[in-house]
Amino acid sequence: MRVQVKLFAFFREGRFVKEDKELPEGTTAGMVVDDLKIDREEVGVLMINSRHCKFETVLQDDDIYAIFPVIGGG
Amino acid sequence: MDKQKAIRSFLEEQATGACIDLTELQRAAETFDCPLRDIEKVALRHSILPARYQRNGLSCSEQLKLIQARVAIIGCGGLGGRTAELLARLGIGTLLLTDPDTFSESNLNRQLFCTVKTLGDSKVEVLSRELQQINPALQTKEQVRLFNEQSIAGADIVIDCLDSTEARKELAGMCRSHAIPMIHGAVREWYGQVGIDWKANALINTLYPQTSGPPEAPKVMVTTVAFIAAIQAAEASKLLLGHDSPLTRGWLQCDLLHCEHEILPNNTT
Repeated sequence: MRVQVKLFAFFREGRFVKEDKELPEGTTAGMVVDDLKIDREEVGVLMINSRHCKFETVLQDDDIYAIFPVIGGG
Repeated sequence: MDKQKAIRSFLEEQATGACIDLTELQRAAETFDCPLRDIEKVALRHSILPARYQRNGLSCSEQLKLIQARVAIIGCGGLGGRTAELLARLGIGTLLLTDPDTFSESNLNRQLFCTVKTLGDSKVEVLSRELQQINPALQTKEQVRLFNEQSIAGADIVIDCLDSTEARKELAGMCRSHAIPMIHGAVREWYGQVGIDWKANALINTLYPQTSGPPEAPKVMVTTVAFIAAIQAAEASKLLLGHDSPLTRGWLQCDLLHCEHEILPNNTT
């Protein structure tokens, strides 16, 4: 299946802003995070097609999947 | 009431057209032994615009709403110092400033009134002093300590300029229990986020799923700080003036490196 992955803020650095990925059926949101070597502790928000989701949510063909880090400075 | 009438006729005599200079307002404050802020309120109620607000492009009734407002700024470092300055220039009447810290050298890269001269001084005290220079009609209430219920007492709006997840969660809870909207802002390197946490948009719960944040101090660039602080101040004035904002239903994610800014919905249930 084909999923568009969008990264936000400093998750973009050394990776990409958005990329189309071919993923096996049953891939979860968390598996993509791990695959990108993103520490789950640094993740703030996960969204599929503009709806919030969890690490356990299974991705579907044609999904747009966005990953946001925690931003904490003031 | 007689005093109010006397002030009004004094201001009407001194006004040039529908506008009045600071010197005349200060003279009225001395003559009637009245705080400058109250003199400005009388002027605005009678459609006389203090010259300092002329270029804001707001009406007298809008400026009156701002001068009657009370905004609490929690955290007076990068975001807090700049938001406070913007709100003072816009004409907010009362600012409650809370921060326990003093300026240190690592603040020089981004904090507005942090200079070589003010190193070691209380952030809140320096800020309050400088804001008075900008707008003497402004009332400031300083709290050189960690925030508590007192820091947001009677506030119409609270601005979250903190730098720790735990503190943000605590402040958001406090604001929700008092039904005060909290304008959240946060920055890191080229990136920032800003949105309004209130009962229908529990943003802090969404943006900070973990109970605590990373222990190390984040890297923060002044350009991002100024950008996010400007949006926080704009959102505060919009709330006070009754304008709708999409940031009451989600948040704005900002990326100054790629020049990409996106409004995201907060639809967690």
